[in-house]
Amino acid sequence: MAGPLLRVQDLRVGFRTEQGKVRAVDGVSFDLEEGQTIGIVGESGSGKSVTAKALMNLLPSYAQIQGAAHFDGRDVFAMAANREKHFWGVEMTMVFQDPMTSLNPVKKVGEQIAESLRVHLKKGRREALVEAGDLLEQVGIPEPGKRLSQYPHELSGGMRQRVVIAMALACSPRLLIADEPTTALDVTVQKHILDLLDDLRRARGMAMILITHDLGVVRGRADEVMVMYAGHTMEEAPTDTLFAEMRHPYTEALLETIPRIDTPSHTRLVPIPGRPPEVIDVLEGCPFAPRCRYSVTECLTDRPGLTSHGAGHLCACHAPAGTQVGKEARAGNEAAGTTAAGLDMEQFARRVPIADLNRPGGEG
Amino acid sequence: MAGSGTAHLRTADDVVLRVENLVMEFPAGRHQVVHAVSDVSFDIRRGETLGIVGESGCGKSTTARAIVQLPAPTSGRVLLDPGTDREAELTALEGEGLRQVRPRLQMIFQDPISSLNPRRRVRDIVAEGLAIWEGESGDEQVRAKVDEVLEAVGIDPTVAANRRPHEFSGGQCQRISIARAAVLKPEILICDEPVSALDVSVQAQILNLLEEMKSRYGLTLVFISHDLSVVRNVSDRVTVMYLGKVCEVGNADAIYSSPAHPYTRVLLASAPEPASTVDESESAIGDEIPSPIHPPSGCRFRTRCPRATDRCATEEPVLQELAEDHFVACHFPS
Repeated sequence: MAGPLLRVQDLRVGFRTEQGKVRAVDGVSFDLEEGQTIGIVGESGSGKSVTAKALMNLLPSYAQIQGAAHFDGRDVFAMAANREKHFWGVEMTMVFQDPMTSLNPVKKVGEQIAESLRVHLKKGRREALVEAGDLLEQVGIPEPGKRLSQYPHELSGGMRQRVVIAMALACSPRLLIADEPTTALDVTVQKHILDLLDDLRRARGMAMILITHDLGVVRGRADEVMVMYAGHTMEEAPTDTLFAEMRHPYTEALLETIPRIDTPSHTRLVPIPGRPPEVIDVLEGCPFAPRCRYSVTECLTDRPGLTSHGAGHLCACHAPAGTQVGKEARAGNEAAGTTAAGLDMEQFARRVPIADLNRPGGEG
Repeated sequence: MAGSGTAHLRTADDVVLRVENLVMEFPAGRHQVVHAVSDVSFDIRRGETLGIVGESGCGKSTTARAIVQLPAPTSGRVLLDPGTDREAELTALEGEGLRQVRPRLQMIFQDPISSLNPRRRVRDIVAEGLAIWEGESGDEQVRAKVDEVLEAVGIDPTVAANRRPHEFSGGQCQRISIARAAVLKPEILICDEPVSALDVSVQAQILNLLEEMKSRYGLTLVFISHDLSVVRNVSDRVTVMYLGKVCEVGNADAIYSSPAHPYTRVLLASAPEPASTVDESESAIGDEIPSPIHPPSGCRFRTRCPRATDRCATEEPVLQELAEDHFVACHFPS
């Protein structure tokens, strides 16, 4: 097959509001090959879910979508305009964050899974129910026969998410979009669901977009990772490359700011000052510049474009971390005590265990 | 009911809070009872941070609320400053007596926006405790105190004091909640999932702020979270809970570097980036948490435990000392 399974080019999604136009997604491009997983990582408001919803044709009609998306050579947005309903839910499906709100509380689980088989594949009621039972077994639900006639409220959170995954897999999709599939679940369940998605993807040769706010979730699970901030792609790279040689100061800051399970208690965290920007007005320059340790004057006026940093590694930054330019920019900011955006550099002082400062003779 | 034991309680004279045999049960209709917290004991020394970690339904939030008597526990004792002349037994107090003790304990919650009254100004929200105990929010002395505490949490009082909560982001609202809790100079601050609703880039700011506030105001923290990495970062001592019981208690670094209870090991192996002290394969257990209406006999974790034997079904394990300041309730600890 020529070309990738999914090619997204310069996707822009805007919403008109009373305060002005919200640019939720502002020029995002990526390719996804058949059978591969791309992780999209970002905080709330970064545009990761809007990107997924745009692809799934789930945005309200007042959303202004620009750019192109091609699935196996077919124009996704043209199909949306032509109301081709047998594409979504069949070839491209989605799993959402909260399993309770994505299930119908007054319909039996079996019927809900069978529904897409009956609607899209025109299967008979009985045949669809049998297949629904098979699907429940595949997603690791014990006693699938009994579960078919239960309602969502009779299942635990983890079981519900398994049901939602079974629904998404019913028509054997070629691409599954999982939008924060485990955020609402407990840690012990989270790992099971992520492993399940990975196993199913491998077994079916399906491609996956895994959306999360947690860099730890994509590590080891995605072939490629795209980091988003304020509607922009900040960095994109094969997963191992990203963690080994991250270039974008935002990616670096995200990783440093998260407490790690293996560091001793009271290790001071490196904060990211401020908060994510409102995406209402067109920002001049880099959206992360006001919070960035590396920012130089150029960052405030010129929006950096994506540049290559090795095979498949793209980064949008004027002073990328780990490069000579970046080192000089950060050293310059440290010497001046403030960044080009006026950020006080002292707060980034090296990690000092707070225990040493506060508790003379405290327990070691 | 079989006890979880009290071997881990300490006799040091700087214990500020001691919870003994706390039981919290709720009626569930049809004469059934939800056993939310069953015989939990712990203590906290002055200036310490106690982390309580566990999954949803383990009783960690119920425990926190029972400490402040909201609502009062079914049985058990909660003692503030035990053995000193300021000793107060919260579970024995009611009415005015309880009201007098309340300022010594404050609480912050998970959702910073819904825990602030949207119709009131920040100055009045923060000053409310002072207004009750010391004077109205317009008083010069109260104003000064509010300004000081707002500055301490990184909110500029000249800009922010007359605004309402909707004008602030989640992180800023959590700062205001912390200011409201700290303004009465409490001895103990109970934090119930304080960073779970925040973006990762803001989370570290609040965690660092809590450490600063702790040293500035001499606070003792009870820090509740489901996030193992966050709990390790802030805690001196950690309590792991499962289905209303304590599994393991001890020095934070000891618990994370040599977890002894099978459930603690499962938790550490299930983290997105598992701790190096456990094998990732240990996370393979069943999904289903038993109902707290009919908890399993003996050890409550036995239905999901890889090491469970017949003994676990009949005899409830009691907390026993494994190493210095490291206690575990398991018949077969690692």
